[in-house]
Order: sequence, then structure tokens, then C-alpha cells
Amino acid sequence: MATDLRISNISKIYPGCIANDNVSLQFKSGKIYALLGENGAGKSTLVKILSGVISPDNGEVFLNEKNLKLSSPLDAKKNKIGMVFQHFNLFETLSVFENLSIDATEDNKSLRVRINEIFKKYNFSIDLDIPVLNLSAGQKQKVEIIRCLLRSPKVLIMDEPTSVLTEQETEELFISLKKFCDEGILIIYITHKLKEVLSLCDEVAVMRKGKVVSVSQTQNEKVETLANKMVGQKLAKIKKKINISKNKDEIFKVKHLNFYSDDPFETNLVNLNFSVKKGECLGIAGISGNGQNELFQILSGEIITPNTSIIFRNKEIAKLNPKQRREYLMAFSPEDRISQAAVPELKIYENVALNNFKASNFFEKGLVNERKIKDHSKKILSDFSVNTDNVELKSQFLSGGNLQKLILGRELITAPELLICYNPTWGLDVGAINYIHETLIKINDQEKSTILISTDTEELLKLSDRIAVIYKGKLSKIMSSEEVTPEKLGVLMGGGSID
Amino acid sequence: MSLDISFIGILIGSIMASSVPLILAASGELITERSGVLNLGVEGMMIIGAISGFALMVITDNLFIAIVGSMLSGVIISLIFGFLTQSLLTNHVATGLALTIFGIGLSAMLGKNFVGIPGKEFPILFSSLRESIPFFGPILFGHSIVLYFAFALPFLTNYFLKKTKLGLIVRAVGDSPVSASNQGINVIVVRYCCILYGGAMCGLSGAYLSLIYTPQWIENMTAGRGWIALALVVFATWSPIKVLIGALIFGGITILQLHMQAIGFRIPVQFLSALPYLMTIIVLVVISRDSRKIKLNTPTSLGRIFYKEK
Repeated sequence: MATDLRISNISKIYPGCIANDNVSLQFKSGKIYALLGENGAGKSTLVKILSGVISPDNGEVFLNEKNLKLSSPLDAKKNKIGMVFQHFNLFETLSVFENLSIDATEDNKSLRVRINEIFKKYNFSIDLDIPVLNLSAGQKQKVEIIRCLLRSPKVLIMDEPTSVLTEQETEELFISLKKFCDEGILIIYITHKLKEVLSLCDEVAVMRKGKVVSVSQTQNEKVETLANKMVGQKLAKIKKKINISKNKDEIFKVKHLNFYSDDPFETNLVNLNFSVKKGECLGIAGISGNGQNELFQILSGEIITPNTSIIFRNKEIAKLNPKQRREYLMAFSPEDRISQAAVPELKIYENVALNNFKASNFFEKGLVNERKIKDHSKKILSDFSVNTDNVELKSQFLSGGNLQKLILGRELITAPELLICYNPTWGLDVGAINYIHETLIKINDQEKSTILISTDTEELLKLSDRIAVIYKGKLSKIMSSEEVTPEKLGVLMGGGSID
Repeated sequence: MSLDISFIGILIGSIMASSVPLILAASGELITERSGVLNLGVEGMMIIGAISGFALMVITDNLFIAIVGSMLSGVIISLIFGFLTQSLLTNHVATGLALTIFGIGLSAMLGKNFVGIPGKEFPILFSSLRESIPFFGPILFGHSIVLYFAFALPFLTNYFLKKTKLGLIVRAVGDSPVSASNQGINVIVVRYCCILYGGAMCGLSGAYLSLIYTPQWIENMTAGRGWIALALVVFATWSPIKVLIGALIFGGITILQLHMQAIGFRIPVQFLSALPYLMTIIVLVVISRDSRKIKLNTPTSLGRIFYKEK
């Protein structure tokens, strides 16, 4: 039976922000719909309303012309609306089967039979009796999807599903989604990745600042037209000129990096060896959870590993702590801006003072030299075009993009010889990403080096001179960016081999 | 004093009796913590259970009412904790500490008129078998019904958590309240239930002290057992069976060191008194070394405030 989902005049207002402003959309089964928009455009709010997690201030949802009261997730379930959240809604310490059985009405035996039927039908295969925390991101997503399928949904909503997947897993997901679509399930696909919209979806609605700004057939759209609609202005294209010169000095060299941990949430690293030349950007690709966290912490000195040799500017630094490494002109930008790079409760200038050097004279005789720090902070704010000049502002009130600019500014204003960053544009919108990318390219132009650990393949191809892939704690051979393609990276990221 | 076989039997029986309050309180707290709520008010709930059980016994002269009443008083006082932490979203740690201080003060006030009143004998089961079978008699028979319940409780708790749907829901809530809520589980209701259950068990544990173990009311008679129960839950890494083992070790060494003091071992008394605490921690740390298992048993959201998006 055909399904028809209609959203009529939905509004949701949070203090200081209109998340959804009179949104009306219509979806029909047999097609895959894209909901496209930058971070903060209101997509997530809209799907949370559709899945009953939050209720709208205004407006109605109709399924086959029946007015739905969606006041709790149970209501969405009852009305056969299934939802796969961006941040998985799984219970990590419970087994796969327990995760699936938690809201099932049938007994365990017949549930297992039904799960196996779904496995067979869509070519899935997951061990049902291991805890979810042992699964890869792609497998976790499959568990979420199976959980929806068990309720034979009419509508399936996918919220940014590919942000944690490899190229191969993404392809597999797309095949499954097309199958679901053929079987009459209405699919709404939320994303900010333009290429996915073009390759998967039939119709696309673009949201900006809480409003729907356009609805169109994807066959009439191109990457550029969609990007402009999404951002509301024309964007400059960035592409780095790859520079690989064999005779430049190696500024940073890592040998025999091994790391072993008992913690099941950590990844062991196995004999990593690599080096970075002056003015070069070394990209390290991989799906998150393959050892990037551990690698970053070892490179920054948060974890000291025995028998590892790290040579930086001809000095052995493997035993130095982060502060000592900074004194040697290394700089770090961790993945988690809120908890690792900055303290959200502190003011901007206080966060700047956290990264202090002997030379910077922020502290004199044990006292804080506030004026000096504030002047220094103001310089960072203006040099790195952070959207405020108030150094007294608490850092938590900065948007992700502005906070990242502040962190990069803090790290770069000391003119480091090597910057190590981990997912510097994670969760940022297109405008901020462009700025960060330009900044990173500028660093290389000034003959300074960078190590870019990132889960975003496109970003790596744009910025790196050479790229290696980390998979289950092992590093692939290092390739020149010119010989690398997204497909090759995808194979390596999924544990395959390209030789 | 001869160390004959019947004496060892009696010794084991008394060790079991002394570990009952710990098993009860820790099993209750274990369920509460498995749902992600950290209630540090165990000591306070126990002492309230002890005084209300004893007072009801004196007033009604009915032990059944006294036992049920002590559990109800535990439920009521834990309801305060539940309301503050779940409905008003106060900090779990601070609220729990306040609950303990409140409980100790309130019980001392309520108990003023009950000091010095002798308790009533609590009926014991199979008392004839206790005498007739050597060694096993004093171990297996001649105990109060509460003791049998306490020794079954860790196994029931284990079964509940691992095998039942409700247990699964409790674990899910403790793992990720946000996910559970998005799956349509009413997190607040689940947590309230676990808090109240924990309160009932702590109340019962207190009543065991004032009605059965040492049948009388003494101010502050729980003497830190609530804190031991709390520590047991953590060191047993949220596993009910290990709670039982820990409680028995603690009870065992407490009793043994008393005998050692009585016999006059040339070991400083202070060291002997500290021994139960030390040994319990050492043993539980040794049997819970598997960091993988710890991760799987630990309620990830423990002590974190949950509020629903609107």
C-alpha cells in the first residue's frame, strides 16, 4: 500500500533560536527523499519531531491523511515510523540480541527466527550474542536498521547515516536503502553531503535557518547548485597544489610506535613508522575507532610508549610531555573541541592562557598577567576571524566553527613547525570548513608541516601531500596524494588491500 | 575453647548471620545503580528501617507488621531521594549524602523513647534440625526467614538482570538513558522503581539488625554497614554473586578477628579491626580483574542526571 507523509506548518522555537519555521513538506512512498542543510539548519529538529522525541510548538503531521499525535517515541513506533539516529541509540554494554529484543513483543525464539529472515533477505551478517561495543560503526548502524525493520515500518528516517561509514559500507547501505524503497518503504535521508543526495535520492528539500528554501528533483541539480542553495551564497573552491619534493628535510620521524591496552574501548597500535617533511601535510585516513585517538595522544605526549623513537627537529622527544613538546614548537588540535582542546566553562582569554610558554610571560612570580593574556587573545580573535572580540566571553557560547578557529589560532600564533590535528572540521558547516582548510593550506605554504588525522576522505584528498590509512591500529603504506583515489582509500579503510 | 567440628559449624552460621544486612542493602543498591542512579543514602535508609521496624514491633507487638513497616519506611525515605534526583534533577551524590545525614538524625530523634526496651524473640525455622545434625545443622538450619531470603536474593537478582525483560530494561536505562527514552522506555519511571526497591531492601536490612541480629534499638546501630554495602557494590563490579562473596568475606573476617582478639593473638587490635575492610577489598579486586567484564557490567550512566528533551 502506498504511504503518504505530509508535514504541515511545523514550527519549533528554542530560546534565542527558531529551529523550525513553518516547515511544510510532502513525501510519497516509492521514492527516496533527501533533506539537505548545514549544521543548525533545523533538519535534526524536524526528524526528532517526526520520531516523537520532541513535540512541535505548532503544526501537524499526517500519515495517509490521518493526523498523527506524536508526543512520544512510542507514538512514532505505533504509527510505523522508524528512525536511525546519527548518534546511535544503542545500548553499548548489551548484546546485539538484547538490543533488538528490548521493545519486541514476541518471545525470544520467534524473534531470532525473524531476525535471521531479515539477515538472509538483505545479506546482513552480525553475531547476535556479542556486546554492541565490539561492533564497527557500520555494523552498529545495521543493528539500528534491523531494529526498525523488525517493526515493518512504513517510513524510515536516516539521520546523517554515512558520517561514520567507509565508502564500501556506504555503498552497501545505499543498496539496502534502494531495496527498502522498492518494497514500498518511504525513505527520508538527512545529510549535508551533496554527492550522496545526487547519487541516492530522487527528490531533495533544502533547509536553511529553519526554513525550507527549495524542493526539487535531484536530476535537475548539480553539486554547485545544491551547495549554493544550502549556504545561501557562492563558495570559493579550494584545492591544494600537491607539493612533493624528495630532497626536503624530514622534520618529524616516528619509529617503532607500539601501543598496547587492556581497555576494550581502546585500539592497540602495531609498529607504526612514518615521517613528515618540511612544508608537507601528511594525511592519516581511517574510520574512527581504528587507533586515531591513541595515535594522536601518543604524538602529543599524553601517552608515553616505551621503545618508541620520535625525532623532531633532530631531537629525540618520545619521552617528553605535551608541554615540553610544545616548547619544541609542536602544536596540537584534538578532535574533541569541548572537552580536550578547550574548557567550555572558562572565558576565552583563560582558555588561551592554558597554552602558555616560557616565552609568553603569561604568568609572573606565580601571578596571572591578565593584560598580557587579553592582548594576546584579542590578536588571536582578529587574526583568525573569530566572530567576537569579547575575550571575557565563556568559550561554551562560541559556535563549533568559532571555537575551532580560536583553538587553531591559539596553537598557530606561536608559529609552530609542526601542527598535528585530528578531525579539525568535524561537525562544522561549509563556511567554517572552508576557512579552516584555507588556514591549513597556508601553514604548508609557509614551509611548516602538518599531520592531519581525519575521518573525512574528501578533506584528506584536498589537503594532504601524502596519505596513509590506519586500520585496526596498523598503518598502510604511505601514498602520494596524486595516486590516491577515494575508492582506494575506501578499500584500505575497510581493511582491504589494493595491491 | 576447642576448635571442634561443631564449633566451626556454629562459627559459619554466625558469619552468615552477620553478613545478611550487607547482602540485603547491597543487593538493593545494586539494582538502583544498575539503572544509573547512585544513591549514597544507603546508611540513612538502613537506620530509618531499623528504628521504624523496632518501634512498630514495640507498638503493635507484631513482627510481621514491623518487617513490612521497615520496608515501607525505606520506600518512603527513598521516595524523597527519587523525587529530588529524578523530578527536580538534583545531584545524586549530594542528595544521597544529605539522605544519610537526615536518616541518622531522624532515627536518633524517633528512637529516644525506645532505648533500653528489650526486643522480642524472632522466630527461627527448623530449630530441631539445627541441633540434630552435626556441623551442617547450625549452618543450614535454625535461621530467621530473612536470612534465607537474603541468601536467595543475589541469585534472584542475577536472574532478574540477566534473564527477564524487566531486568533488560533496567540495564538498558543504566547504559544509556537517552537511547532508552528514544526507544519509548519511560526512564524516570524505571529509575523511580529501582530507587524505591533499593529503599525497601535497605529498610529490611536495617530491620534485620534491630529485630533479629541484635534485637534492641541503639542509636546509630548500623555503624557504617551502609557504607560497606555501597563499597561492596562497586568492588563487586555490579555483579550480584560477587556481592554475596564480598559480604561473606567481610562478615567472616569480622567474626574471626573478634575471636582472635578474644583468644589473645599478639597482633595489634587496630590491625585486626581493619582486617575485614582490607581483605574484602583485596579479594574483590582480585576476582574482578577482567577489565572487559567490568566495562560490560558497569552502568555507563551511573550518577548522571537525565532529563528528557521537550
